[in-house]
Amino acid sequence: MTTSASQTTRRRPAVALAVALLVPVSAFPNEDLKAKGKYLLHAGGCISCHTADEEDAPPLAGGHAIESPFGVFYSPNITPDPETGIGGWSDEDFVNAFWEGENPDGEHYFPSFPYTSYTGVSRDDLLAMKAYLFSIKPVSRENEEHDLWPIMSSRFAAGVWKARFFEPGRFVPDPEQGDEWNRGAYLVRHLGHCGECHTPRTALGALERDRELAGNPELTEDESAPNITPHRENGIGRWSVSDIVYFLEIGMLPDGDFTGSSMGPVIEDNTGKLTPEDRRAIAQYLKSVTPQ
Amino acid sequence: MQRKTIGIMVGIAVLAGASLPVIADTTPEDAKDYRTAVMTSLRGHIQAASMIARGLIPNSGQLLGHAEGLAHGAAEIKNLFPEGSAVDDSKALPAVWSEPDKFAAAADAAVEATMAFEDAAAGGDPAAIGAAFREVGMACRGCHDNFRESDD
Repeated sequence: MTTSASQTTRRRPAVALAVALLVPVSAFPNEDLKAKGKYLLHAGGCISCHTADEEDAPPLAGGHAIESPFGVFYSPNITPDPETGIGGWSDEDFVNAFWEGENPDGEHYFPSFPYTSYTGVSRDDLLAMKAYLFSIKPVSRENEEHDLWPIMSSRFAAGVWKARFFEPGRFVPDPEQGDEWNRGAYLVRHLGHCGECHTPRTALGALERDRELAGNPELTEDESAPNITPHRENGIGRWSVSDIVYFLEIGMLPDGDFTGSSMGPVIEDNTGKLTPEDRRAIAQYLKSVTPQ
Repeated sequence: MQRKTIGIMVGIAVLAGASLPVIADTTPEDAKDYRTAVMTSLRGHIQAASMIARGLIPNSGQLLGHAEGLAHGAAEIKNLFPEGSAVDDSKALPAVWSEPDKFAAAADAAVEATMAFEDAAAGGDPAAIGAAFREVGMACRGCHDNFRESDD
């Protein structure tokens, strides 16, 4: 069989169309990656935590105070400034921070950086986040020292804690569940790290995994995080999927109230910025966890 | 005779009305109870309106009443926090009084959002109603995050 001239001619428009379709994508792959990264940065709660509380604080340049029973942590600068930020980090450095809880010098992070949850985030998602972070304006801002109990304040203590309580590993979808549930599980357990606030902790600060999302009465000295399991009395079992989705979007409780709480910034910078599909996936997953 | 009786009654009513501001002796507790009542009514309208905005309850015109209730209540917010009404069980944070400009801006945002919602409700377009209601929610949350104590 030989290809006739007419067949070749006929194919040309198809080839041209394919090229035309490919060009915009291949010419701007970084734009797509950055947009995805920015979205994931919202989903991961990075912006609310890595931006100081002052109104004119530069986004992602760190300095937000995180209160804990062990003292106050100050989030670091994650803009691409080579001196004070993460501008000198390789892809491996970045991925390793999330998967292993280590900085590029091999030092242990305190679990105030929730690598205990982030360890499940995929490499593709992490590299998209890095692509976005490296596209923003570098801000020169020195990191602040954490203000912790003396016994907890060394990186060595963080290493001991990790050896005892940290289980590295990627998220593995449950084949018995649908895509929506698996997406919700990934967002709640890993990227969105909901359990870091809503799951109770032991006296040593380890998450009580068998009490997933059952509430943390001692989130800070004067704030508790509510039980968000589907228990009708203790949790949010009376909330419909629509109620949960609406709360994640605008912060309204099913009775029409709006609580002033540390969930406010989470709705503002994280759940309120997600697609309706992702909010629904979160709601479906929350409805499926063990009521307690 | 009848006319005279009516005249006296009207006279008493006018006198009573005119003297109300003088005899009204609003205690801090009264001010707090009154704002709780107004806020509770707003919460009721919000809950009802949200169910209609989400399509859980059909809108047979009743949404407009809730929208009007929200707009009227929101217009009162600025007057609900007189100086000295931070009684013990009030959830109002000190910032209400220590940052008056910021608080006034948050209250103005609620007025603006509820008026726009009233317009959307009068228009009847579900998409516009949903979008406008979202803004009402953002205004409520924006104020509560900064000026009301957390329940937790």
